[in-house]
Amino acid sequence: MKLSLREQYWNLSILGLVIILTVWRSNQLPVFGSYEIKTIILGIIPIALLAMGQSLIIIGGGINLAIGAEAILINCITAKYSEGSDFATSLRWALLGIVISVIVGAVTGWIISKSGIADIVVTLATSFVLIGFALFIQPGPGGGVNLDFAKYFIGGEDSYLAPLFVLFLPILLIWLPLQKSRLGISFYAIGSSKDAAFLSGVNVARTRVSLYAVGGLFAGLCGVSLTAITQAASPFAVISNTATLNSVAAAVLGGVALAGGVGGLFGPALASLVLYYIPTIMLGYGIDPAYSQIIQGALTILVVLVGGLLRARGKR
Amino acid sequence: MGNLLEIRAVAKNYGPVVALRNANFTVAPGEIHALMGANGAGKSTLVKILTGVISGDAGTIKLNGEEIHFTSPDNARKNGVAPVFQDPALIPDLSLRRNLRLTNTNIAKFEEKIAYLGLKINLEEQVSRIELPILRMIDLARALAHDPKLLILDEITAALPANLAEVVIRVMNEEKARGNSVVFISHRLSEIGEICDRVTVLRDGIDVDSFNTSEGDEDRIVSAMLGSKITSAESKNRSASISKEPLLTVRGIKDGDKLVNIDFEIYPGEILGIVALEGQGQDSLFDILAGEVSAKAGEIHFSNKKVDFSHPADAIKLGISYVPGDRKTALLPQRSIRENLALTKFRKLRSWNWINQKNEDSLVDKAVSNLEIDTRASSQVKQLSGGNQQKVTIGRWITTGFDLLLCFDPTRGIDVGTKNQIYKLLSGLSAEGKSVLLFTSELREVQLVCDRAIVLYNGKVQGVFDAAKADEELLLNAAYGRN
Ligand SMILES: Nc1ncnc2c1ncn2[C@@H]1O[C@H](COP(=O)(O)OP(=O)(O)OP(=O)(O)O)[C@@H](O)[C@H]1O
Ligand SMILES: [Mg+2]
Repeated sequence: MKLSLREQYWNLSILGLVIILTVWRSNQLPVFGSYEIKTIILGIIPIALLAMGQSLIIIGGGINLAIGAEAILINCITAKYSEGSDFATSLRWALLGIVISVIVGAVTGWIISKSGIADIVVTLATSFVLIGFALFIQPGPGGGVNLDFAKYFIGGEDSYLAPLFVLFLPILLIWLPLQKSRLGISFYAIGSSKDAAFLSGVNVARTRVSLYAVGGLFAGLCGVSLTAITQAASPFAVISNTATLNSVAAAVLGGVALAGGVGGLFGPALASLVLYYIPTIMLGYGIDPAYSQIIQGALTILVVLVGGLLRARGKR
Repeated sequence: MGNLLEIRAVAKNYGPVVALRNANFTVAPGEIHALMGANGAGKSTLVKILTGVISGDAGTIKLNGEEIHFTSPDNARKNGVAPVFQDPALIPDLSLRRNLRLTNTNIAKFEEKIAYLGLKINLEEQVSRIELPILRMIDLARALAHDPKLLILDEITAALPANLAEVVIRVMNEEKARGNSVVFISHRLSEIGEICDRVTVLRDGIDVDSFNTSEGDEDRIVSAMLGSKITSAESKNRSASISKEPLLTVRGIKDGDKLVNIDFEIYPGEILGIVALEGQGQDSLFDILAGEVSAKAGEIHFSNKKVDFSHPADAIKLGISYVPGDRKTALLPQRSIRENLALTKFRKLRSWNWINQKNEDSLVDKAVSNLEIDTRASSQVKQLSGGNQQKVTIGRWITTGFDLLLCFDPTRGIDVGTKNQIYKLLSGLSAEGKSVLLFTSELREVQLVCDRAIVLYNGKVQGVFDAAKADEELLLNAAYGRN
């Protein structure tokens, strides 16, 4: 896909920001070797996967406030039933978890299309339902996973290759083919102009179902990677809410327009690094995490403002 | 030989709104068939039912004698029926190439058709950056790329300047020569007699007349379209005594290579026409005068004061109102007619402590009745027929008040009856001392409503004419740079 000049500038500035923050973070650490890099990558995998799922949905003109809850639900399901299991069972539950997440996404999209109620309202409601299910399945922290299975995510001692794969594989295997396909283009189409999409022969309702289903696919991957990385389940609404907010922030930071139809998934994946760094760096200085939340929020507002201004100027 | 298309007793209701009551329509092979009707008569609805965008409530459609029911425009295109809809059917945020992907259009064939239409286009260009007339031509090229047996053109010429409209007419004739058929919808009566073989007229969702163009003339179409309420266009009473102090003076404005050097002035109470082919700088000129972009050089004087707009609000404050060519940019599609009409009024009302609801209501009612806006689907402007949306765009300024009105093709897509209404309205405004700058792609409007006309060519003023003497031939010659 050819990016517009504005998008290129945008991605470059985010990349610049990421480099600055990386240097900053590496100076904080006594050593900065492959182990540290691995820690960083493992830290951003869940954020990045969720950000990609959310970005896709926003590009398609929606927003999913339940995407964090979807991920937590899958985290709970897979961690609960994979505890102490063999490799095959863990793999089976991981796949099943992803399928469940895709179905949950599809059903969400279907409800939105059928009811005609705004995405934001429907998904706010489903987020409560999903967290409820997660708590029902796994009432408290616990669970586990087969360690050989987890190795595919966290890799060997000092090698960061496996996590890097986990980060890039979804982009390569899902996003690249998708954005070239008619389905991917339809996502942009319904996000940009539902009327024109309709006249171009796009089935808007069906496309929205697929949109939320693919979003669910990313949320499922996020849930499974959480299980593999943390080797536990954490059924907390706070975590899912923060994750959802982060996913929206990363989407916006990554150049996805909240109005829909504009953006890609590289930018948000990159932007999730920023969202990972800010609290980590502040924690490194011993600053209260509450401040980092404030800064992160302020940064998001700033980005939305700047993005809005750029857009307004570009129109003229 | 049988008919290519046979539509029988098609009906469609949108809740309480009857869009089509009982429409019958047949098209023979190798025929150019005009589908006529006032705004809201149901023409676009019929096109949408035929091409599978929506489904009808009743009736049958036969193609080549076989009953069909297309489920989507895609489905229709595959079966040889290619539509160009009244509203641009291209996704604004996507590149042209990806738009073509979306409609399964063969790229090579599309490029071939673009060349055939005499255009040059960059496939990577984002659609939102392409100007409306070119978008219409792209829509046409895309339809042609599907090799249709039946080409449907819903008001394609409405947004087109003379040179591109000629291209469309050439295309229709060549389709006909190949044995294909064309359904042509237009409010420009002069186009009908010349190029169409047959006319069907819809009124209130019923086909009220259908005849070969050799058997009837424009009057027959108009009386069928409007029923009893015929209003004729009267030429403007030109104000003999135009005062010597211009309201607006434009000196040497430039804007890159779009506007090279423009000088002109408008006097109070004058209606100044602007005529130009596509892309001669008219868009830029209107954007500058409306304060949307600033000129690279030159001066603008308004009421004897030098002005410098940095925002449209500056122009509006001085009393300059703009009716843009693309109604999509002007309207709030999901709001009611009332809100859309009163929108610009709110700016004024805010300075008072009290919103005078009664006053607002009466102004809105006045606009609705003056323009005969079809209020049956009044809760959301996007549900109105194209022409009725256009009326709302104009009506907004009637409710506001202004000294200078910038109109960009205001009668685009508006039926003859209402057109005459709008001409009267403009004349009335000029009698009150208001000035109007009127860009028009329908050349006869110059003699109907304007006092003077200037013709733009290559970003320059090619000529200034007294409207009384500016017949279509003269204007067209100047527009092509010949004189
Ligand atoms: N989605 C909709 N919901 C409600 N009413 C609608 C909708 N679409 C069209 N209508 C109504 O159906 C009627 C016919 O509209 P249509 O667009 O077919 O008119 P038209 O003949 O194409 O007019 P124009 O010349 O102005 O384009 C109008 O009264 C319009 O308001
Ligand atoms: Mg129409």
